Amino acid sequence: MVTVDAADTASGSDLPARARPRGIRPTRGYRVFQACNAVVLTIVVVVTLFPFVNVVARSLSDEQYIIAGKVNFVPRGFNLDTYRLVLHDSLFWTNYRNTVFYTVVATVISIVLTTCYAYVLSKKHLRGRTALIGIAVFTMFFTGGLIPNYVLVTSLGMKNTVWAIAVPNAINVFNLLVMKAFFESLPTDLEEAAAVDGLNTYGILLRIVLPLSKAIVATMVLFYAVAFWNSWFAAFLYMDQQELWPVTVYLRNLIAGATGAENVGVIAEADEVQADATLKAVTIVLTTLPILVVYPFVQRYFVRGVMLGAVKG
Amino acid sequence: MLHRSWRRAATAAVAALLAASSIAACSEDPSDAKDLSENRAGAMADYAIGKQFKASEPVSFSILYNNHPNYPLREDWLFWNELKSRANVTLSPVAVPLSDYEQKRSLLIGAGDAPMIIPKTYPGQEDAYVSSGAVLPVSDYLDLMPNLQDKISRWNLKPEIDTRRQEDGKFYLLPGLHEKPWQDYSLAIRTDILDELKLSPPKTWDELYTVLKAMKAKYPNVYPFSDRWSKPNPAGNLLNILAVSYGLQGAGWNFQHTSWDANAKKFVYTGATEQYKQMLQYLNKLVSEKLLDPESFTQTDEQARQKLANSKSFVISANAQAVVNDYRPDLAKTNPKAKIAKIPLPIGPAGEVNPASRLENGVMISSKARESKNFVAMMQFIDWLWYSDAGQEFAKWGVEGTTFVRDAAGQPKLAPDVNVIGLNPKAPKHLQKDFGFYNGVFAYGGKPELVQGFFSPEEQEFQKVLNARPPVAVPPPHPLSDEEREQASLWETPLKDAVYQATLQFALGQRDLSQWDAYLAELKGKNMDAYLTMVNKAYDRYQKDHG
Repeated sequence: MVTVDAADTASGSDLPARARPRGIRPTRGYRVFQACNAVVLTIVVVVTLFPFVNVVARSLSDEQYIIAGKVNFVPRGFNLDTYRLVLHDSLFWTNYRNTVFYTVVATVISIVLTTCYAYVLSKKHLRGRTALIGIAVFTMFFTGGLIPNYVLVTSLGMKNTVWAIAVPNAINVFNLLVMKAFFESLPTDLEEAAAVDGLNTYGILLRIVLPLSKAIVATMVLFYAVAFWNSWFAAFLYMDQQELWPVTVYLRNLIAGATGAENVGVIAEADEVQADATLKAVTIVLTTLPILVVYPFVQRYFVRGVMLGAVKG
Repeated sequence: MLHRSWRRAATAAVAALLAASSIAACSEDPSDAKDLSENRAGAMADYAIGKQFKASEPVSFSILYNNHPNYPLREDWLFWNELKSRANVTLSPVAVPLSDYEQKRSLLIGAGDAPMIIPKTYPGQEDAYVSSGAVLPVSDYLDLMPNLQDKISRWNLKPEIDTRRQEDGKFYLLPGLHEKPWQDYSLAIRTDILDELKLSPPKTWDELYTVLKAMKAKYPNVYPFSDRWSKPNPAGNLLNILAVSYGLQGAGWNFQHTSWDANAKKFVYTGATEQYKQMLQYLNKLVSEKLLDPESFTQTDEQARQKLANSKSFVISANAQAVVNDYRPDLAKTNPKAKIAKIPLPIGPAGEVNPASRLENGVMISSKARESKNFVAMMQFIDWLWYSDAGQEFAKWGVEGTTFVRDAAGQPKLAPDVNVIGLNPKAPKHLQKDFGFYNGVFAYGGKPELVQGFFSPEEQEFQKVLNARPPVAVPPPHPLSDEEREQASLWETPLKDAVYQATLQFALGQRDLSQWDAYLAELKGKNMDAYLTMVNKAYDRYQKDHG
């Protein structure tokens, strides 16, 4: 922003205003607006970025400096001990692999089910459509509760399997409604034309509707994947062996071990104590990193997709 | 709004259903609790004190396992192998992350899916499960546990055990037992400043006042005492150790609504006693003479540590770990000449007492385990592993010759190639991580030699002083019924809030102690009297039925 402004001023001083070759000369008010805009946006960027940079800096700092509140943008007392502690644990890698596996499986299941359900709901001529929507919305407000859910999942034999994580959470009703709104916004003429050309319902969905819905599907993939990536509760409930935990449970436990009262009265070892302050930061970095890496590539769909659904729906 | 009222109605309906079903569960009384002939498979006929338990056939028990991140569960631990060869027992653990152990325990018990052995349950936590009938009244089966019975009688633990009895006179938790109470929390004091002022460490709260005064005279710009552990309750530790040395049951982070008045033979409300008032007077004196930092009641631990590290304070609440892991490293960076040490708990008007409880976390048994044909063997096994001297030593120290050796006096010592809590920092193997011993699930309590086995000489010295003090007398049992407990919890929260708020105001001088009576009237307005009546009624009832 700043460079553009500078270029404008430079060219403005060389040539008379009327002789400017391209475009309309920005008014004074507009320039002020641009300057303010630049300042405000820069502040917003700093404010948004600061927590991230701060967390990274903390993860690389010595605990003493963190407690003293001396770590802002730059790591102080640089050390990698906590990273070493976490990364050298084979259980960490096992659990990380689990997280990737659970996320992929659960997201695929969720996308398939949510798309099918949403597509059906978007057809106004469907009989019983209101009832189907009602059933979905009902679950937004009422749940069976923890223990009945646990009993259900256990007696279905899904305990200690990926299904315990993927199936009960497969359809998020909010996502379902967003997707339904998107499908409703697609012109019906298209589908009618496809039907005239001989496509059946499945053909219409797979060859016409889905290719036009890449935006919303990408958005849903993002929503679901992030949710499954970050989730720990289902795994905590249904997984009885530590080899099956996702990395979120592993790290959550690690923090509890470092801060908990378990060690009270006994002198803990130095490498275990370091953990407390740095560990949280390391945890955040390690769990958010993959999402941060993937996010920019999906994000452009994300913006378009939600806008389309929201405005026209 | 509509949704919300539906929801409320639905919740109420569900609650009613649940209540009905739990009543139904209650009424299902086992026809004959004592007929164990069907449950003796694998049990030893001649199991007794001093005898190694060994099941007569291989047995397997499921156990809820609190998985500590510092020593994550491993199947190849020597501990499991030794259990197999010594006791013929295989434990199949259900691993639960330590971070959320209690939640999963409630869930599993509630869903009827709990393992047979449920360890790591702290006294009081079992109350919630009693009425559902999901947890076994273990007091009915004490005759299967000779070591436990022996320890209770030899260490005079009956009063402590009695506090765990429920309305039916039974108890549902097998608590961990300490021969001597283990008080870890006290105050730490800068001993180099004491030397500089030619003072000896304070033994009583009054001497502490004198010492603080002398410190203030020498360093007028300093609040000599700036405390930590104020989240979530203000001055959690300070209020508690003060309250117990004034003869109360506990305050601060260990707030106990009632204290036992042995003379009047009734329960009184802790926050309304004369002792509590005196204790606030003492605190108020420290604050008004600028000896105690007023921020002590609100600041974070980090702030308190910073003040100590930068010589802006000289006295702070401490436990053994905080001294070694926090204060000394902090001070070493800012002031290498500084010295700090934990002082024995200052003595108050109640005289020399050791306030720590002699009950530890312990084991619940799932009611379903009673149906198992190995039930007797399981109780004998628990008795051996958790309550016999040999079992306790095994769980803590491991295998002689592998993880520990004996010195000339026969005391166990860590083997040179084994490390734990930094005692042999260069050793290649770790007692907890590589062998599975000294595990929080299995090893706690016992004789002082065992409990203090890994303590530093400094901490052993501290414990020696405190072990010489008599254990505090525990209040008599006064178990509440389910409805009473529910009513009590409704009354307790506002009462506690009122006490905390007034404590802070009185201590900081925002409210004058002449308003004490007004404060008592406030507590009465929050149902203090009704609460006390209920507790005393429960006490009388218990005396009548079981006393």
